[in-house]
Amino acid sequence: MPSEFGLFVSADPGKCSGCKACELACFQSHHVKRNKVGLTVGTVAVPVTPKLYVTVMETASMPIQCKHCENAPCKAVCKQFAISRADGVVIVDEKKCIGCKDCLMACPFGAVSLLPYFVDGRPVPQADSDEGKVAAAKCDLCFEDTAGPACVRACPNEALHLTDVDADRKRKNIAAAEALAVINAGVPERGLL
Amino acid sequence: MNGFVQGDPMLCIGCRTCMIGCVVAHEGLRIFEIDPDGYDFHPRLKVVKTYNVSVPVQCKHCENPACMAVCKSGAISRIDGAVSIDRALCIGCKSCAEACPFGAVEMVTLGGVLNADGSPKATANKCDLCKDVPGGPTCLRVCPTAALRLVTQENMGETIRLKRLGALEAALSQES
Amino acid sequence: MGVHEIEDAALLFVFGYHGAESHPIVARRIVRAKQKGAKIICVDPRRIETARIADMHLQLKGGSNLLLVNALANVILEEGLCDYDFIEKHANGFDEFKEVIKKYTPESVTAQTRVEAADIRKAARMYALSGRSMILYGMGVCQFGQAVDVVKGLANLAIMTGNFGRPSVGIGPVRGQNNVQGACDMGALPNVYPGYQSVTVPEVRAKFEKAWGVKLSDQPGFTLTMVPHQVLHETDPKKQVHAYYIMGEDPAQSDPDLAEVREALEKCDFVVLQDIYMNKTGQYADVILPATGWCEHDAVYSCCDRGFQKARKLVEPSGDVKTDWEIISLVSTAMGYPMSYKNTVEIWNEVIELCPGFAGATDEKIEKNVCVQWPCRSKEDHDKGTSFLHKDGKFAHPDGRAKFFATDWRPPLELENELYPLTLSTVREVGHYSVRTMTGNCRTLRNLEDEPGWIQMNPADCEVLGLAEGELVKVLSKRGYCITRCLPTGRVAKGAVYMTYQWWIGACNELTIGNFDPISKTPEYKYCACKVEKIEDQAWAEKHVREEYELIRGRMGIDMKEGRAA
Repeated sequence: MPSEFGLFVSADPGKCSGCKACELACFQSHHVKRNKVGLTVGTVAVPVTPKLYVTVMETASMPIQCKHCENAPCKAVCKQFAISRADGVVIVDEKKCIGCKDCLMACPFGAVSLLPYFVDGRPVPQADSDEGKVAAAKCDLCFEDTAGPACVRACPNEALHLTDVDADRKRKNIAAAEALAVINAGVPERGLL
Repeated sequence: MNGFVQGDPMLCIGCRTCMIGCVVAHEGLRIFEIDPDGYDFHPRLKVVKTYNVSVPVQCKHCENPACMAVCKSGAISRIDGAVSIDRALCIGCKSCAEACPFGAVEMVTLGGVLNADGSPKATANKCDLCKDVPGGPTCLRVCPTAALRLVTQENMGETIRLKRLGALEAALSQES
Repeated sequence: MGVHEIEDAALLFVFGYHGAESHPIVARRIVRAKQKGAKIICVDPRRIETARIADMHLQLKGGSNLLLVNALANVILEEGLCDYDFIEKHANGFDEFKEVIKKYTPESVTAQTRVEAADIRKAARMYALSGRSMILYGMGVCQFGQAVDVVKGLANLAIMTGNFGRPSVGIGPVRGQNNVQGACDMGALPNVYPGYQSVTVPEVRAKFEKAWGVKLSDQPGFTLTMVPHQVLHETDPKKQVHAYYIMGEDPAQSDPDLAEVREALEKCDFVVLQDIYMNKTGQYADVILPATGWCEHDAVYSCCDRGFQKARKLVEPSGDVKTDWEIISLVSTAMGYPMSYKNTVEIWNEVIELCPGFAGATDEKIEKNVCVQWPCRSKEDHDKGTSFLHKDGKFAHPDGRAKFFATDWRPPLELENELYPLTLSTVREVGHYSVRTMTGNCRTLRNLEDEPGWIQMNPADCEVLGLAEGELVKVLSKRGYCITRCLPTGRVAKGAVYMTYQWWIGACNELTIGNFDPISKTPEYKYCACKVEKIEDQAWAEKHVREEYELIRGRMGIDMKEGRAA
């Protein structure tokens, strides 16, 4: 049965080398159609704007991306109804976004950014600026791609995986239950058992 | 030390009375008076049945809780030795469910509660040691085979003391 | 023996009985026996809860019960583990018994039972030598075409090892239904009056005719499971059934081959249902008589260990209902035989007056001792009833001796085949009781499990069909089909599937076969051939189940607020 709750991509900082292959894959996959970005550098005519953010500390790194929260705060605060949640995927509609930044502030993970908004290789025009519009951007689980999230596929260290909390929980429950047989065997008061 | 409830698969008969007891303790007797479909049934422990074991699995109330560490909305805290979730603060990011190695945190949808945008509210759900229930953990009180016990700092200390004495006795018997 | 004796046995031999699912309170005694140091041998085709904590689990193939029982007897004989003194003093027919049993060597049954010969030997030795071995058996013995023979086979084991007539030994049938013992005690069997007094014995009949002031038939009646045949196929007009008065039973859910049961209920001229809630049978009833539930009336229940216990009225019944005894009295009076009992004590006094085995179990004594196990013949205080039967090796046969009985194994009627490659056994699940007329109306139990229920399948069988946990599947036999959810579990063997029989949509009795044990007339619920089919369009199936559920609940008049059903 499909999970009742939203899937999300999670990262293992122990495996992440900070190479940003995930960011490039994310950018490429989201701009194939919209901005005709191919697999080579020469096809890139727009700013490189991934929807996940490799975050680096001295000792560790990992991409930060959307958890597709069930009670998504970003969605709750958006007055433009630019953020929606369908089949467990929280998606931003850039066309509706007015750049109010409430969602950036509301998200506790920093998973939302303001990014340049390009269509057909050109910035979407803005009355007072040549640089064009910006819009909130975040992971959409590559919902348009039947092969699933591009970042997961691109990671050379297998540091990313798509998590289904219910399936994950069942697996962990079984292991925890089996462990209780061993744990209880170590209790002396248990007597003859 | 935080206390925790531990099930014993050798005593558990898989009847799930603990799961019902848990819901009744947390939802209150009102659930017997309202529309049968008008309340949520979300036990905070789960009876798991495998080839070898039947036993409820629930939160261990870790001393360094992984769920609490990853929670960015401040919904998980330790209250009187019970790692507890504040449903009002939970944003449903599922990080805690992912972090718990026992699968003791379950995501649940709350039927009657809506988010500000009209979507049904979901929350992480886990054992809170019945911190607000008179008499303490309900699961162990309703278990027909007494398969659950509350491990506390005191009785765990005693268990370990017994084990050490046992180990000493075993060593002595080997010498003689 | 008494249920309380279970925990003091040295060895529990649990055969075809899943206490944890059927009777958690008895399962508690089994767990306690283990805690007190008892050895446990579990004989069951599934890895049931008892099997997990058992010292030995003989995971036999369904339908091979008598082979295994006879092989166990064979080992006890061959290895000289019998209690020869007990046999000589208290039993007949040992030589004929040996003659039948000698061919059932463990090796000869291994292929069909799928139990290793070495394990059969080990189990037989453990059983024979424990000093205090108790057998518990359940529907895994009784619900086969060959059932009574297996019960006798288990009794053979107890007789030959002297495990009778002492505390914590013997053979314990842990019965299928609440108060089924009571129903039998009160004569709800086709061949006896209350207290197991045969209708064919003239003196007995004369006693009841005198007490009741009516002429009584000397002919045994029909068992429940024979009714469809008597309605649909009986040609002798004198034996045809035209009216069917059903009390606290839901044959349209619990009897085998439901298609035939429905036909019988439809064709039967007059059907009366007396129950506490609406059920499936009620949809075919001409008259429904609403009765009170267990806490709304005073009653006496018989536990499976022959113990009479009082159930007390706790709340005033609401609505247009009456107690069962009041309804019966009114119907009887209306039919020309006035009954005017004032209360249940009056009825109980009549029962013990007419049944010598119950004579001493007065209302006061049950009240005082909480439970009185029959036989209890004297009204004096010293007779507190009988915890275990056959004390000092005195058995119920006229000569006071036990009788060995051995016969050959018969396979189940409908074996798995190319079209229907799986074997289906119907089972129970803890939480939902019997046909769930009661528990289906208990909200938290419905929260735990609801329609359409599950089919337990070995993961290997699921893999072949590409089935995942929770997926809706279609289960078919020659007689019908139903839809249920797939539950892959290593607790069941390959080729065997299990369903619980209380679901309306996942109604496994659509599939079961009307093959009956020749003596008990109990159906072979534990064995028929079936197959499982994958449903490609799961969304349709989910919708179908929801709609069916609403339809059935609607037909039963269950109040459904919009959007709340299922």
